[in-house]
Amino acid sequence: MTIPHRAARFLRVLPAALLVVLALVGPWITPHAVDEPGTMPFAEPGDGALLGGDQLGRDVLSRVLAGGRELVLSALLIAVVVTAAAAVIGTIGALRPAVGRVVERAADVLILLPAVLGIMLVALSWPGGGRLAVAVAAVVLGLPYAVRLVAHAAAPVAASGYVEAAAAGGERLWFLVVREVLPNLRAILLALFGLRFVAAVYVVSMAGFLQIGPQPPAADWALMIRENSPGILLNPWAVLAPSAAIGLLALSVNLAAAALAPQTGRKAVTLL
Amino acid sequence: MAGQLIPDIGEPAALPAASAGSRPAPPVAARLAARAGLVVLVVLKRAALLATLLAVVFIGVALLPGDAASATSERGESAADLARRRARLGLDRPVLERFWDWMSGLPTGNLGTSAHGERVSSMLATAFPNTLVLSGTALVLTALLSLAFASGAALRPGGRLDRIVGGASTAVFAVPEFVVAVGLVLVLSLWTGWLPAVTLTDGDGTPASWTMLVLPVLALTIPQAGWNTRIARAALADEARAPHVEAAVLDGLPPHRVMLWHVLPGALPTIATGLATSSGVLLGGAVAVETIFNYPGVGAVLASAVADRDTPVIAGVTVLAGAAITVVLLAADLLRDLMTVGRR
Repeated sequence: MTIPHRAARFLRVLPAALLVVLALVGPWITPHAVDEPGTMPFAEPGDGALLGGDQLGRDVLSRVLAGGRELVLSALLIAVVVTAAAAVIGTIGALRPAVGRVVERAADVLILLPAVLGIMLVALSWPGGGRLAVAVAAVVLGLPYAVRLVAHAAAPVAASGYVEAAAAGGERLWFLVVREVLPNLRAILLALFGLRFVAAVYVVSMAGFLQIGPQPPAADWALMIRENSPGILLNPWAVLAPSAAIGLLALSVNLAAAALAPQTGRKAVTLL
Repeated sequence: MAGQLIPDIGEPAALPAASAGSRPAPPVAARLAARAGLVVLVVLKRAALLATLLAVVFIGVALLPGDAASATSERGESAADLARRRARLGLDRPVLERFWDWMSGLPTGNLGTSAHGERVSSMLATAFPNTLVLSGTALVLTALLSLAFASGAALRPGGRLDRIVGGASTAVFAVPEFVVAVGLVLVLSLWTGWLPAVTLTDGDGTPASWTMLVLPVLALTIPQAGWNTRIARAALADEARAPHVEAAVLDGLPPHRVMLWHVLPGALPTIATGLATSSGVLLGGAVAVETIFNYPGVGAVLASAVADRDTPVIAGVTVLAGAAITVVLLAADLLRDLMTVGRR
């Protein structure tokens, strides 16, 4: 890889990294209290409140700074768990076709369940589950697709001569998965992690918006959009700022994942 | 992307092109019988998958702690009251018996009873068709937009349009629909005043004017059009490398003709499968988008079900959504079979 290419890749990952860091440190750098009114409800920007006030007159800027950490942390957790589990299960699926078939069927079944409904079902049947319930639902719903992706990527590696040789040499399945196949899938797994993070941001923010995840008075981007939309004419920033935060997070992580993805999948049309 | 999780993220893999070998054609009657058998098989497979999902949902809900009676219990309700309500809702019977009752009622249109004793089917009678109109329109628009963008981009690979379409479609597909909706409301409704920001309903519970559908449909369409454009672009690129396309180009046919008659048919099954996968995402996203626009669909029913912790209602919506997605997937299956059979 040439240096300019590497630099370009770094530049495409940078916005996502900055946003994630900002969301993580945000709660420590809020200019005003997150849960106490400082202005009139839906006050316009000004008077020390850079983005105005929300439906209870709380400072919008502070709440936006504070409202991303839990979203980003749960999305990261979901992405890590899904990617790690998919890496192992998908590789086993490539090495043991029977497992692969079960995963395929599971993905076929789960495609019939919109994620919103799945999360509602888990969150409501599990009172007190809170964020954990949302995270468990997101992992269960996202896993089959991720496993399928890894299994497809692992199939050629699993069929290669050196893996067959290791299997014929009596190596255990665990050794084959961890030492022989997975090291070859680093690029795929990195890209998968990025995409799973995007998907998790989508699911967690959707849950927040539908009031299944964090409950008032918590500061949460998705919840802010829901709470403040009645006052969108009075202070648009109370809705626009958290929307932009979620939109930019999804967008930048998505572009970063695209930059990390191995380029083999992209084919140019040369004949037309 | 992805009310549901973004489906099957990653570069979409094209289906293997149908083999071009020529065999002697069997008699018409036998061919028709084989075709009909194939259709029945596909229908049965999809029905079995739907039944499996419903079983998983029912048993999952039953296994998780808490049930409809305890979830809707009021403060200070005694254990005896709770047990009485549980008996009235039939929750004291064995799981398998309840499961059988619920499943056997579904084909007759009986979706069970809510935690408050209402019939779920009557709660959804006007709401679900409204949601179907919303997400169905979005699906059609998604199909048209992604086909247009992808073929436009594929006509000049690496050209300006290709790069713009590639960047834009990658950028938008990850943004949640309700975020898109907020942006659309601000720009197209509150600042310019072109379109209504809320949906008003007629006496029969349907939107009063078609203009009220525009913003919700756009909010659903934009992310999904991004996703499907990527799938269609990759499928077209795969198909363009096929020998028969090279032959058509060498014959001197104009590019748009090659695209329309030689590349697109082979790529269509992959594109259709991608679109069918989107139908679940559209239905899920509709739930959130409806809330923003106050659209009279299942979103409102689900919101009150969430507030009341009314699991049977959500299970009922799951049945209808699963059935709708099954129908769309089935159409994609049949299209794929039709295309591959036609090409042999």
